[in-house]
Amino acid sequence: MNPSLTAIINPLLSLLGMGVGIGALLGLVARRFHVESDPVVDRINDLLPQTQCGQCGYPGCRPYAEAIASGDAINKCPPGGDATIAKLADLLNVRVLALDESYGSIEPRKVAVIREAECIGCAKCIPACPVDAILGAPKFMHTVISSECTGCDLCVEPCPVDCIDMVEVDETASLQTQAPVDEMSFQACINCALCVPECPVDIQPHVLYHACRNGDLEEADQANLMHCIECGKCDKACPSHIPLVDFYQDAKIALLRQNEEQARAMRAQRRFELHQVRVNRLDAEAEQRRRKRAELAKNRKKVSSESIQAALERVKARKNT
Amino acid sequence: MADILLILVGAVLVNNFVLTQFLGLCPFMGVSGKVETAIGMSAATLFVLTLASACSYLVFHYLLMPLGLEYLRTIAFIVVIAAVVSMTEMIMHRTSPLLYRILGIFLPLITSNCAVLGVALLNINQSHNFAESVFYGFGAAAGFSLVLILFAAMREKMAGCDIPEPFQGPAIAMITAGLMSLAFMGFSGMV
Repeated sequence: MNPSLTAIINPLLSLLGMGVGIGALLGLVARRFHVESDPVVDRINDLLPQTQCGQCGYPGCRPYAEAIASGDAINKCPPGGDATIAKLADLLNVRVLALDESYGSIEPRKVAVIREAECIGCAKCIPACPVDAILGAPKFMHTVISSECTGCDLCVEPCPVDCIDMVEVDETASLQTQAPVDEMSFQACINCALCVPECPVDIQPHVLYHACRNGDLEEADQANLMHCIECGKCDKACPSHIPLVDFYQDAKIALLRQNEEQARAMRAQRRFELHQVRVNRLDAEAEQRRRKRAELAKNRKKVSSESIQAALERVKARKNT
Repeated sequence: MADILLILVGAVLVNNFVLTQFLGLCPFMGVSGKVETAIGMSAATLFVLTLASACSYLVFHYLLMPLGLEYLRTIAFIVVIAAVVSMTEMIMHRTSPLLYRILGIFLPLITSNCAVLGVALLNINQSHNFAESVFYGFGAAAGFSLVLILFAAMREKMAGCDIPEPFQGPAIAMITAGLMSLAFMGFSGMV
């Protein structure tokens, strides 16, 4: 063969062979190691507030999590607000966006309350609630389990007598943050560690201070924030006169709130899943009943047409005789 | 043994890929914002670089050399590296979801990390044998990880600093990287 021809054909063939070989291998591996669910969706779902309100345009939080995982914008969740957007941006390594106001605005947490004197017991709000937080039966008064209500306001619209109010929850009552610390009243922490031997519960007060000051609650929790008994000995030892305990108190409140919110979100998620199971079961049962009834009607029709035929024949027979 | 130790030390400190050879600079600047992500990136790079240098050695010596196609090595290596990375990702996704979660999006990013291709090509240039190639890849990745994590830690510290406005963000990061590079120059002549 012509040597210049082989100089062209050889590399072409070998590259082609390599490409085909690697492609086949990749295809094989893709089939062998196929994975159904995307773990990213679960992680996104954990960050969403689980109100199941549908303001993002998807039916619930998990569908929105799936949409985000496949590239939707992260700023469509008004109940989560800026905190959720920041967490999502952190997880997905994208830029923090402002909330898209066209999906709703950030409002304080609300719960639904039924004005019970006006409720007519129509039971229309009960199937509307995504977390089954409304109790009641037809022709009986309904009420909302306020600790389970996510404030999605999906029950307001179906109510024919408009007896459901969205009431703001007064969260500041139980956990009051104090006035912000005056930054000019003390000097910077120089990590002198004079506070460390003072602490009766063996916390490293200066480490905890930096975590609280930066608003890093996770790190503060790891630095045993909750073990602090607020005795104030570190305050007295500090040569920069930093009011350490004030910082710890604020961080404790923020941490408690965050934990409470997380627990509430987890509960709502669980209730939403159970709600979904229940709705599916009821639908299936209704479908079965409908089919049975249709069959019954068909049989009855057949029976009735047969009996009419029989009667006509009897009449005919009588006429002939 | 001494040979391999020499290669390792040389790749990690003396001829550090990022700071003296200026390879793999985009992940060095891109994912050094947080120590946590830097560790993820380092682990992924360590894994892929070692594997890729072994694979590219095999491809060069058992496929390209016998056919006299050495001039095709760049394109062949790119294909091999991309295949290794995506295969690793798929297998890891199934067999070890935990590791997959840690490495996360960093695995596919490595495909375009020029340090990986650089190691494969340098292995050929310096005519390393198989074991040397693997250890050179490992050393390069270890050096990359070391520098990346150090840099990320510094950037985390700097986030709380009072930096003059014109120097904020990438500007001060570049200056820091330059100072680190100067420091690493001190290792030259050690091997």
